[in-house]
Amino acid sequence: MRGPTVFIIPALKLVFGSKLLALAVLGIAAVFFMLAVYLPNLRLIAQVVFSNRIAVGTKIGFLVSLLGSIQTNFSLFSAAITVLVALLFGMNVAMFLYYLKQRRTVFVGGGTATGIGGLIAGILGVGCAACSSVLLTSLLATLGASGLLALLPFGGGEFGIAGIFLLLISISSIAKKIQDPLICEPPHQDK
Amino acid sequence: MFLKTINAYFIPGSIVIAGALVAAAFYFSGGSFLQEEMAALDQREEIQGDGGEIRIRPIDVSKDHIKGDARATVSVIEYSDLECPFCKRFHQTLQRALGEYAGKARWVYRHFPLTSLHSKAPKEAEASECADELGGNDAFWAYINRLLEVTPSNDGLDLAQLPQIAQDIGLNRDAFIQCLESGKYASRVAEDLAEALSAGGDGTPYTLVMASNGKMFPISGAQPYASLKAIIELALREK
Repeated sequence: MRGPTVFIIPALKLVFGSKLLALAVLGIAAVFFMLAVYLPNLRLIAQVVFSNRIAVGTKIGFLVSLLGSIQTNFSLFSAAITVLVALLFGMNVAMFLYYLKQRRTVFVGGGTATGIGGLIAGILGVGCAACSSVLLTSLLATLGASGLLALLPFGGGEFGIAGIFLLLISISSIAKKIQDPLICEPPHQDK
Repeated sequence: MFLKTINAYFIPGSIVIAGALVAAAFYFSGGSFLQEEMAALDQREEIQGDGGEIRIRPIDVSKDHIKGDARATVSVIEYSDLECPFCKRFHQTLQRALGEYAGKARWVYRHFPLTSLHSKAPKEAEASECADELGGNDAFWAYINRLLEVTPSNDGLDLAQLPQIAQDIGLNRDAFIQCLESGKYASRVAEDLAEALSAGGDGTPYTLVMASNGKMFPISGAQPYASLKAIIELALREK
């Protein structure tokens, strides 16, 4: 069976042949990961970071210590989802940037939309495997639908899985476009 | 071709599926879920005062469950759910902190049972109040320590074990059962829950580290010991 791997692997080789893009993937993934870990405590972080009575070293030490919550405040499942979504999102953005550079055009069509959908679903699923859910709990509580979490077998982690799925589709879609020949095609005619 | 078809229909399809899931949740729950939480939210406006400031009821040594030196300058107020696995984990973190900050920090326990996730948590919270009634503050702490030791979390504890836990820590089993069946502490648990929500809690464990000048540092979730320690140090510096 000719699956998406036929064009994904060569595209990945092309994109990640560039050290700059490989660094971009890691950088974007790191930012996403930090946001996911810091999200439940933004108010506390603001209190500490913007305080003029706390030394810079203490502030940095506190921010670093909070990263340890990936072990204490996430289940193994939600930690794995968070890391995967972060990496896939980083890959998605890097491949999109490569495509822009290659074609000098912003049109990627469904791939971009799917990537954005994947990111949103991924963010909703972050940290949501039990009672320390982050965004989804707040969102559902606002909608008066917190009970939905109790009905989901993975307590909202499903959104993370959906996010991974959407990001993978987006990556394969962008990979295919990167592999497309650089030619002008006439518009498709409906018969 | 396959990918084009997927891309064209995936986003609208996802929205439809998500909508269907939410609708199904409402339908199957009969709209009855979160009744306690919603009632608590109704009380939120009554409790919360000015612009986003965290306000909680004063710590009352005769009513609150306090561990550590009552005269300690920093209060670590934990809102916890006895069936939450992260609360179970954070319980150990707080025990460690109390050991290190003996005389400087005290631990105040308040109930935050997430009924929509853990249906057994409110009854377990009531059971801990019964332990307090029958054996005092020490019995309360012994009861929650033992319960958190025994429960596998996420509603995994058989409620029939609650009297056994009471007996294990030396309480009168029959008196405990009578107290628990009366349901007399349900309102106390609901009050704590309402307060947790009004104070900004949206998940468990939710902890407020309060300095002697009343300044609050809210901590969401089971954060690492190093983070908790940093916040206690900051609170100790507040005058």
